[in-house]
Amino acid sequence: MRARQATALLALAGAFVALYLTLYKVGVIGTLSCSIGECETVNTSRFAMLLNLPVAAWGLGAYLVLFTLATLSQMPRFAESTALPRAIAALATWNLLFSGYLTYLELFVIHAICIWCVTSACITVLAFVTSMIAMRTPATA
Amino acid sequence: MVKQQPASRAKGFYILLGLLALAGVVFIGTMATKNSTPKIVTANVTPGPAQGYLLGDANAPVQVIEFADFECPACGQFTLVTEPDVRQRLVQTGKVAYRYFDFPLPMHRNTMAASLAAACANDQGKFWQMHDALFFNQPEWSSEATSDPMKFFANYAKQIGLDVSTWTQCVNDQKHLATILGNRDEGNRVGVNQTPTFMIGKRLVVGAIGYDEFRAHVDSAMPPAAAPAPAKKSK
Repeated sequence: MRARQATALLALAGAFVALYLTLYKVGVIGTLSCSIGECETVNTSRFAMLLNLPVAAWGLGAYLVLFTLATLSQMPRFAESTALPRAIAALATWNLLFSGYLTYLELFVIHAICIWCVTSACITVLAFVTSMIAMRTPATA
Repeated sequence: MVKQQPASRAKGFYILLGLLALAGVVFIGTMATKNSTPKIVTANVTPGPAQGYLLGDANAPVQVIEFADFECPACGQFTLVTEPDVRQRLVQTGKVAYRYFDFPLPMHRNTMAASLAAACANDQGKFWQMHDALFFNQPEWSSEATSDPMKFFANYAKQIGLDVSTWTQCVNDQKHLATILGNRDEGNRVGVNQTPTFMIGKRLVVGAIGYDEFRAHVDSAMPPAAAPAPAKKSK
């Protein structure tokens, strides 16, 4: 159960990071706080948009779905569900792969690193690990 | 037999969740209000007709439009690295008519002020001097560095020899705001969604490209009559 809780907490943290980047992209936040790396370069590159939406907005959506599923899985009625942990693990895996692709773009195509994107990538790695543990661990453990 | 989850563990989880949510809201709220309102606030103005700033011969065989944001780092990089060659080897030789169109991005709080500063410099025939001053000094006036870019712009205006009081009045009145918005709308119309984007002939080229790539696009846009014969390709 702790792994599911950890997944929910990580997803919420990731949602705030993605929200921050989304608000920057749409102009609500004027300047990214970016002590390490080149956030501006990354977030104004052509890869920062996907299907007419900021990539961060897609990330926000993915984190919110993950958070919702992980929080739902805390409820007693879903305690013995095997489908929910699998769905969470599948989404966490997708997030990990997409985050890996974005990190590749930063390192080898844009040649700039955004500390907030790295933070999000770390969160997706941790969420992937906790979701895998949750899938393999009985809910009552 | 299902073991009941300890209530204290669930309670601890929800407390942690609440604290994290609170911290997140405080963080976002702080960041959203961190930068004070810029000195220049754009009023609700109907965009006017697009009108770029020309460099070179208007009748040159290849027409190039740059859609750029004065605060965008990639645009600054292009201006510093590629544009000197473009001006010297393509514009001054009469091959290219180069036009700058404002494409202010919403996340850059000082960019509209910069566009106004450049447009007002244009009134005194010094758009390109202001353009260069803005891009060369971008790190000192960007919204990351200051919420009051006007003091820097006024300094540039003085350095390039503008009548500063006339220029200041023009900027404060936002005299050219409609034109700037018109330039941006023209960018939106042709499909620009990031800066810098170049329209070279009829082709949209995205990013701070190098001179060789820029030159290749210009060559491919050159009308056959104006294009150099392949055998006379210079080394």
